[in-house]
Amino acid sequence: MAKKWLLFKQLAKKSWIEFRRYFFNSMGGIITLYVVFLVIFMGYKGIAGAAGPDLGTSIEGILVGYVLWFLALSAYQDVAYSIQNEARQGTLEQLYMSVHNFGWVIGLQQIVNAFYSLLVASVLTFFLMLTTGKWLTIDMLSLLPLLILELICFAGVGFALGGLMLIFKRIDSYMQIVQFVLIFFVAAPAKSFMKLMPGTWGAHLIQKVINGGEGLLEFAWQDLLLAVVISLAYLLLGVVIYRICERKAMQAGTLGHY
Amino acid sequence: MAETILTVENLSKTYNVRKSKPIKAVDCISLEAYPGEILGILGSNGAGKTTTVKMICGLIRPDSGRILINGKDNFKQRSAAMEHISAVLEGNRNIYWRLTVRENLEFFAGLKGKDPRAIKKEIDYYIDFFGLGTKKNETASKLSRGMQQKLAIAVAMITGSELVLLDEPTLGLDVKTSYDIRELLKQIAAENGRTVLLTSHDMNVVQDVCERVIIINNGRIIAQDKVSNLMRLFDVKAFKFVAEGSLSENLKQALAQIPHLSLAEEEMNTVITLNLEETRNFYRVVELLGSENVSLLSINRQEINFEQVFMGILGRSENGGEKMAAL
Repeated sequence: MAKKWLLFKQLAKKSWIEFRRYFFNSMGGIITLYVVFLVIFMGYKGIAGAAGPDLGTSIEGILVGYVLWFLALSAYQDVAYSIQNEARQGTLEQLYMSVHNFGWVIGLQQIVNAFYSLLVASVLTFFLMLTTGKWLTIDMLSLLPLLILELICFAGVGFALGGLMLIFKRIDSYMQIVQFVLIFFVAAPAKSFMKLMPGTWGAHLIQKVINGGEGLLEFAWQDLLLAVVISLAYLLLGVVIYRICERKAMQAGTLGHY
Repeated sequence: MAETILTVENLSKTYNVRKSKPIKAVDCISLEAYPGEILGILGSNGAGKTTTVKMICGLIRPDSGRILINGKDNFKQRSAAMEHISAVLEGNRNIYWRLTVRENLEFFAGLKGKDPRAIKKEIDYYIDFFGLGTKKNETASKLSRGMQQKLAIAVAMITGSELVLLDEPTLGLDVKTSYDIRELLKQIAAENGRTVLLTSHDMNVVQDVCERVIIINNGRIIAQDKVSNLMRLFDVKAFKFVAEGSLSENLKQALAQIPHLSLAEEEMNTVITLNLEETRNFYRVVELLGSENVSLLSINRQEINFEQVFMGILGRSENGGEKMAAL
């Protein structure tokens, strides 16, 4: 376990160094997110009153939905793009030759990325609230576990895409499609089979915490269990797909080819 | 026989190509590497070198056979096996260009389970050993190609692996940097007791640094022996006489009677090459040239180089020759 902790520290340190060394670029990403929200917000104000989906019926809904979408995007894209970047820059093989299983390397990298995403999401939420003038009462103790479950769920999607990337190398256009599909899932009403879609049920519970003011302990245990099961199921499914793809790439001798 | 650091047994790999015949990249290869030796794997393009190296690294899954690194199966006991091996692969950066020299060494040490703080002295040692001291705080992207390659080898060393695989370590480097790296490789094996397994197309590198070589052709090992033994196998005692100007027709005819002798005109001079099967033929040539007072510009013993040995072995193999030699 000490070696895993050491690996985690090294991955975190590397991410921090890169964030700091390329600060201008890092900030550019956050500013872009903020500007995109402003555009959505202005658009919403322009068509206020029009009917929208569940999360989009209020500014609070848009705000929560937007931050959730950002987290979803970060979680699934980080896995796939991490693998793609390592392959592109010719370091993927080195990670595979570590004493840890590559799954650990990429998994721990995702935890590092998740911390980063949550930090960015917090800063973003603050500025979004400042802009909209809607100050959400956020029960962090209730919100954080649900956010983590959402991140786990989307990381599963990321692992599956990362696996496909190992085989097909360029899947950027499909990544774009997944991005829009995830917007739909995050905003979709959590009814019937739709609640089983990645991110939908978690987003529904998060919406209840933020907009409805409900605490984690006020949820029915079945609802919480469902959130846990859905997240773990997608993670497991994603990892299984990744492992199958990895095995195929290793058999075909194309691991790391880009 | 010393204990092996690497044992490869009956390794085979076939690639299935869509709408084409399967390609047998590696065909039942077995080899061993011992602590402290520099072993070269040679072969033409597509011979199966890279596939073999990548299978040893655990990056390509073999169809059959097994690979033991320090006694650990590199697929079944992957983590344990990976503790003992590191590699610098050709065509890859192998290092992070956004990190500095020191940060790269620290990161990859961590990746192999070593706490960078605990091995700070080792990191400093390798920074000095590879002559990277003045560049230790520069990002790898700002280093020259040679420096980047040195850093990649330093990273492979810092992990503490007993087996270091280097795929074309001097490719694309200038003469001076190539020489530096060759000298460093010798030191790595001699002073640090590491086993270096390298592939190279540069026969000067192979002849200079490898004690033993394995030559692969069409996925099979066609020769496996010490460099000195292979050189002996192809050694021919040949002498090259360079005579000033052209020789008389009489002299040419007389020389032509001597077995294993060839004549050629080069830059207004005459070059006589004699394969010395019998010593007396040497004296006969000198005698004939002396009889006409031919002015000799030089007499040199012809040395065979490893490139000729390699081509010779490859030629014999392609002409249906048998396996050349085996330890």
